Amino acid sequence: MPTLTIALKDLRLLLRDPRSAIILVVMPLVVTLILGLTLGRVFTDKPDSKIRISVVVEDEGLGDEPRAFPDRPWSEILLDDLADTANIRVERIPSREQAARLVERGDRSAVVILGKEFSRRAQRCSFVGGEFKRDPINPLYRDGVKADELGVEFLTNPTQPVGSSVIQQVVQVSLLRVVIPWMIGQAFDLIGTDRFMVKMEEKIPALGIAYRVPGFSKARLGDGIRGGISDFFSEYDFNAKTWSGLTESKRQFSVHGAVAGFGVVPLKLAVQRKPAAAAPTRGENRTVYADPKDVQYQMLVPGTTVTFAFFLLLTVGWLFVAERRHGTLVRLRLAPISRTQIILGKALPCLAVSLFQGFFLLACGKLIFGMTFGSRPELLVPVVVSTSIAAAGLSMLVAGLARTETQVAVYGTLLVIVLAGVSGSLLPRELLPENLRQLSLITPHAWALDAYSQLLNPDVATPQVGRVLTACGVLCLYGVVCLVVSRLVAKLD
Amino acid sequence: MTPPILTVTAVEKHYRGTPALRGVSFDLAAGELFGLLGPNGAGKTTLLSVLAGLTDATAGGVTLFGKPFTSRDAEARREIGLATQDLAVYPELTARENLLFFGRLYGLSGSNLKRRTDDMLALAALTDRANHRVDTFSGGMKRRLNLAVALVHDPRLLILDEPTTGVDPQSRNHIFEQVRRLNAAGLTVIYTSHSMEEVQALCPRLAILDHGRVIACDTVANLLRQLPTTARVTTAQAVPETLPGVTGRRRTESGVELDAADGPALFAALRHWPGLEMAALDVVPPTLERVFLKLTGSALRD
Ligand SMILES: Nc1ncnc2c1ncn2[C@@H]1O[C@H](COP(=O)(O)OP(=O)(O)O)[C@@H](O)[C@H]1O
Ligand SMILES: [Mg+2]
Repeated sequence: MPTLTIALKDLRLLLRDPRSAIILVVMPLVVTLILGLTLGRVFTDKPDSKIRISVVVEDEGLGDEPRAFPDRPWSEILLDDLADTANIRVERIPSREQAARLVERGDRSAVVILGKEFSRRAQRCSFVGGEFKRDPINPLYRDGVKADELGVEFLTNPTQPVGSSVIQQVVQVSLLRVVIPWMIGQAFDLIGTDRFMVKMEEKIPALGIAYRVPGFSKARLGDGIRGGISDFFSEYDFNAKTWSGLTESKRQFSVHGAVAGFGVVPLKLAVQRKPAAAAPTRGENRTVYADPKDVQYQMLVPGTTVTFAFFLLLTVGWLFVAERRHGTLVRLRLAPISRTQIILGKALPCLAVSLFQGFFLLACGKLIFGMTFGSRPELLVPVVVSTSIAAAGLSMLVAGLARTETQVAVYGTLLVIVLAGVSGSLLPRELLPENLRQLSLITPHAWALDAYSQLLNPDVATPQVGRVLTACGVLCLYGVVCLVVSRLVAKLD
Repeated sequence: MTPPILTVTAVEKHYRGTPALRGVSFDLAAGELFGLLGPNGAGKTTLLSVLAGLTDATAGGVTLFGKPFTSRDAEARREIGLATQDLAVYPELTARENLLFFGRLYGLSGSNLKRRTDDMLALAALTDRANHRVDTFSGGMKRRLNLAVALVHDPRLLILDEPTTGVDPQSRNHIFEQVRRLNAAGLTVIYTSHSMEEVQALCPRLAILDHGRVIACDTVANLLRQLPTTARVTTAQAVPETLPGVTGRRRTESGVELDAADGPALFAALRHWPGLEMAALDVVPPTLERVFLKLTGSALRD
């Protein structure tokens, strides 16, 4: 009962102080909005919100000589791949001159030019050379495809570096998807052929002796190797020469863009291939996010929600310090109530505020930013609740140790920012160094973000309920342990 | 005499080795209005913290209502009301909300809580400001509320720590009146102050605390009786050294002050001393300040 009395009193104090509302509710909304707009500008071009890739095709094709693959110019294959990429719109510009004018005026941040040689050069791409392939080109290098080796040029506007680098990355990904299956396919076509077997015998002379064994022959060994490899990699068709054939649509290729956001890699989502366009997905309950704006907010909102959940620390710290400054802490200790009751009486309103904050921000995410709650919206409830428990526990622990307003402000803010940074709430965890990524798991943020990501990230087809509930369990445990420790160490005198 | 409700025995309190209380002993009967007088830093607040159960004595013991008392004794704390030296009310809450909150903390509820709250608002003369936030109050109003909050749960022992700090004379008189009235109604009160006028005006019995020690504990009358009679002589002449029975002598701007155990004899001798022309001859009233001066050799005021 005294616990509830203290809790209600603190709740009333919090409601009378607009600072808490600003820190806990208004700030995260503003940050979400600003980040959303900043990131949105990069990926969207009004009036159409898809990323526009402008292309000039000068490609002269491959001529009429007969060949097994492909049956059309390589530039068309590339353009089809681009067009199949989710949230990408391909725009053809008739001439290089017109493209140059558009870029110079800043109307396009970059234009891709597929040169006269594009098809002929793409056709020459190969891992193997010598007697197997004349004049082979290997355009692959550490960071992707050397566009110039394929006769691909980029006209870029230097004043729009972000926009143009996004376009270059998108084209890089498409080039990889076009060139790699072609190169792999040619290499695997060779395996088991006569010419391949002759080459093998040159390397392994003992094979010549083996062939003399009755029933064993060059042809049988060749078939055996080919069969073995395709059994071993049964998920892939290495001979397909196209991306969808190679992966049988089971794998998706994505780029992790180095765009820092609160727990998001929007580029990754933006460049993802349209699942429906590649092949029908097998019984997966996927949501197709047509509007990249939604996709961003989809993870931006949970990111800010988690980060700002821990700003509760400032509010709780303020409650404690105010109690000390007003001398009323002494009165609480004079009253016939226990230390546990005092601590719980403070923890409860903090939890209530945090719960309100969590649900409110998610609701705003839906109403203002148009995010969806995924396929298991009911699982968001335990995630919000357990995140709040962790935030309230940690806040109680830290705030109970602070003695002055300055301590709360300085150490509290520092801790909140460091935790957010380490956890990957500020920078995507994928971009953190390996050891820091491990370290991030000691932060409650990382667990909360993982759970949100399971439920809200469109990348995740079906949320793993076990993983979500484990995260919730870890968060609850975190909060309770912090609360117990704060009961022991809080400075109430 | 009724058995004491509070007995303090050889209480010591050290702050990281530095002694603030050095063997304090006294006791208190039910219904007393007891003064605790001492200069700033004497250890008054420290002593009250021990008596109210905020902290434990380093050594020695406290017996309250016949039972040993420590800070872990939650039930006994219910019987104590402490009006702290520093204000202890929520400025963001109204006067009534403050009283309701602290009343509930002590387990009051329903009509009883409402009645106590209304009574306390009346006691603090804040009924018409009951629903105003405390941060709009004057210093005196806050002090009065601070006292009311200490009383809301109807304690048997009221402890006041410098309750008139920073208040206007009107609020101060109001507080005096209320304390007298409450004491007359049977409440036991410990009134702490560094002002000897206040204690002398209010408390029949008191302890004087200095450097963590009780240097005197008696009724005001008995303490004053220790003092010699002092005559203030206003004269332009030199007052003769040979006056009989004079134990102390101090020069003043307009003459001299003389102490003597036998007052009437001194006055008679002065009046009849040949050739001594006096502009005035007064008795200096005995004060606790002079008691303090006599006991410690230094002035009480800082
Ligand atoms: N919390 C504390 N920590 C350390 N020293 C203290 C503390 N409180 C009081 N003191 C010291 O104890 C002595 C008595 O202080 P206090 O009880 O506040 O005196 P008073 O109330 O008579 O002015 C002072 O010397 C003071 O500096
Ligand atoms: Mg004091």
